[in-house]
Amino acid sequence: MKTQRTIFIDTDKCIGCYACVVACKAEHGLGPHPTNPPVATPEGPELIRVYRIGPQMRGDEVYQYFLPIACMHCLDAPCIAACPRSAIYKDGETGATLVDDSRCIGCKFCLWVCPYGAPQFYEGKMKLCDQCLDRLKEGKKYTACEAVCQARAIYVGPPGDISNRIGRKAAERIGSEKHAGNKQ
Amino acid sequence: MGTTRRTVRTTCKSCHGICGVLATVEDGRITRVEGDPNSLTRGALCSKGAAGVQHVYNPNRLLYPVKRKGERGGGEWERISWEEALDTIASTLKRSMKDFGPRSVAVGQGTGRGYNEYTLRFTRSIGTPNFASIGYICYIPKLAMTGITVGGRLYGDYHGWGREYPKTHISWGKQLEVSNADGEISTWFLDALDKAKNLILVDPRATRLAGRANLWLRLRPGSAAALALGMMNVIINEELYDEEFVRDWTYGFDQLRERVREYPVEKVSEITWVPREKIVQAARMFAMDKPGCIQCGPSIEASNNAAQNHRAVLCLLALTGNIERPGSMVNWIPHDAGPQEEWAREIPAPREVGIGSENYVGLQIFGMMHFDTAVKQLVEGTSELKALHIEGSNPFACYANSKQVKEGLLKLDFISVADLYMNPFAEYADIVLPVAHWLETDDILDMHPRFVIGAVNKVVEPQGEAWSDAKIYNELGKRIAPEYWFDDVEKMLDDRLKKAGITWKQFSEMGCLAKTGKEQSYYKFKTDYWRKGGGFPTPSGKVELYSNVMKEWGLDPLPYHLEPNESPYSTPGLYEQYPLVLSTGGRLPNFFHTQNRQVPWLRKIQPYPFVQMHPETAEKLGIKDGEWVWIETPRGRIQQVAEVFEGIDPRVINIEAAWWYPEDSGPDHGMFKSNANVLTSNDPPYDPVLGSVSLRALLCRVYKVEA
Repeated sequence: MKTQRTIFIDTDKCIGCYACVVACKAEHGLGPHPTNPPVATPEGPELIRVYRIGPQMRGDEVYQYFLPIACMHCLDAPCIAACPRSAIYKDGETGATLVDDSRCIGCKFCLWVCPYGAPQFYEGKMKLCDQCLDRLKEGKKYTACEAVCQARAIYVGPPGDISNRIGRKAAERIGSEKHAGNKQ
Repeated sequence: MGTTRRTVRTTCKSCHGICGVLATVEDGRITRVEGDPNSLTRGALCSKGAAGVQHVYNPNRLLYPVKRKGERGGGEWERISWEEALDTIASTLKRSMKDFGPRSVAVGQGTGRGYNEYTLRFTRSIGTPNFASIGYICYIPKLAMTGITVGGRLYGDYHGWGREYPKTHISWGKQLEVSNADGEISTWFLDALDKAKNLILVDPRATRLAGRANLWLRLRPGSAAALALGMMNVIINEELYDEEFVRDWTYGFDQLRERVREYPVEKVSEITWVPREKIVQAARMFAMDKPGCIQCGPSIEASNNAAQNHRAVLCLLALTGNIERPGSMVNWIPHDAGPQEEWAREIPAPREVGIGSENYVGLQIFGMMHFDTAVKQLVEGTSELKALHIEGSNPFACYANSKQVKEGLLKLDFISVADLYMNPFAEYADIVLPVAHWLETDDILDMHPRFVIGAVNKVVEPQGEAWSDAKIYNELGKRIAPEYWFDDVEKMLDDRLKKAGITWKQFSEMGCLAKTGKEQSYYKFKTDYWRKGGGFPTPSGKVELYSNVMKEWGLDPLPYHLEPNESPYSTPGLYEQYPLVLSTGGRLPNFFHTQNRQVPWLRKIQPYPFVQMHPETAEKLGIKDGEWVWIETPRGRIQQVAEVFEGIDPRVINIEAAWWYPEDSGPDHGMFKSNANVLTSNDPPYDPVLGSVSLRALLCRVYKVEA
């Protein structure tokens, strides 16, 4: 098995534009689909959802960030343990958490146990982020949400790469504080 | 049998941007629309572009030309041929101009989406001066004032082509990160923001960038010029201005210094409601941490002081030397095909000026009609206007005082509309034409980023009998003024590219035509680029802090603050009855003006409009988060959903613009339920240069909707 990929969201960068939400639906052909007449509150699954936290005023500072949340593809996934029909499994190749539609009975017990509220229900079955495995097979480098992101806030990759990303950012931040005067 | 699969490289036309797209077609149907990683926008898209396929296959689309049966607004239509539709429109416009003169006809459009060239060329070709565009409250003030002050246009240098990025960004009444990309693309801006030291947010409310800002100046709506003048006061008093640039390359510094003396920080703090120390801090930050960029949006243009708001911001840029240096505001060298509106302007303008533009020199220069005056004259029954052809716009939703716009426009003898969907205005038309989506058209997209044009390549054939904007105007134009139009669209596109010496077919393959990297240059004023021996293309050859052009027009050559027509200070009596300042410009990332409310992926993101109010305000009014509330001004009242929101002054509320409900029954489709323009005023005084009307700073009251 390859090293399992994980989604990483840089909350310093995300601006809550919802492009990832739409790109994900488009990639997976998920509803809501257009109807005539249109409806005000169309329903449909959201394999990735965006939350706005704040704005709250903390003294003079604005506290606010946006966070897209999708399945975290936990190594020891509680949904797999909870599923009464063993419909949720780990992909042998990539370690992604996947659902077998033919076994899923739509009982929603996985939603009870998921710490991120990731499981979605559509046409009677549970739907989950599949890390765009079809795109990977086509040779595309990025998941739909990562590719579409204008803010470069989403990264899907092995934990080691994510660690290096965060590490580099910390190094740059520390450097800019400590060495700010050097080059002026 | 296997699926046939192909990928088409095209350019998104969902807003003013120019984002590269790859569309996948399987068995004749679009199955994927995604960003093109090998484009200038490196594969990114916004939600609007990513949802394109839900427009193409939307069952609410107009598919055939129709003509009205029975009463206006009765909802009964008869399918007709394109031949009949175009013949009727052409003969009606021609007859009207013959019988009542060229000013009896107007041609309108919504916000530009890369079809401006056709609407403007068509208007000119048929000989009417009435180009009815919303531009006078959106972007044209910026073009006009930058034109007279700097002699061109200014864009944020987010690209690093001069090996430097902006150190300080000011986001001024604008959400470039998620909306309207006038001249820029959020992708470029956000990449540059990652490299910046400071972000100063100048906005009445905490926008999506608020959490990232070092400094937030929560100004009172309608006080932009005062704030800029206050910042300049600090910069001049503390001698933080760019001495060399000011000395060598600006005109009228002494006069500007005199003017900013009238705006000491204490006074500016009282006008703008921004604490004194924050004004000082922002001024120092912008003057010292250079280079810097200022992005300002239509919120300072939909104002009775549109021109001076921009002039003030431009002077702030000039004082700090943030013009033409790498990482500041730059007037890009255009791509080889040249600015495309020049193609439209090849046709000489008519001698007469547009209705209502008699007193507005800015409108005359841009060849526009003053819409608000036209509406008022129609209501009074004194208008010359008889017929209107409009494309891609719902004027009830987008012009001030919706109810009066409806009353006025319904007095027209003839209305024709071209659009993707039926809308509350089209419902009252005599003829409605179906327009093709950008995924169904061949076209050249020239929006505001001047250094690039993109090829919009047809991905699939249009649904039904929809036609592209280009084809509609070419076929309509040929019927009235054949000398200015072309055998077919391809020949027309070839003609648009003639300066670059390429054909449409070649351009279509190329995908875009751009001047980037080493093809751009900075400090062009130090070369012969604009003037032999150096200088800017302005009357004095310098950046005009003191504007010779404004003086010639009989207007104040120096920037000043003007209270909005309605405000706590200009109309204290009204403020007693309407005790909240109303900001109306709220935009969402998933909608573009009135568009996209029929698209489920986008509508699901936010089904109803929110009015943002501070928790203290909500508590005082007994309003809870998530409740529908009334917002009322002297023009009328609307409902939006209360969002209790800390990121706003307790004395100000912010409502969302451009709402209507396509799911509601016709003819009005919920147009007057939540639309901000039901509340706005179309009364004078207007901006003296451009006739701009105050939409973003009004007074209102808010109360619960009783069950």
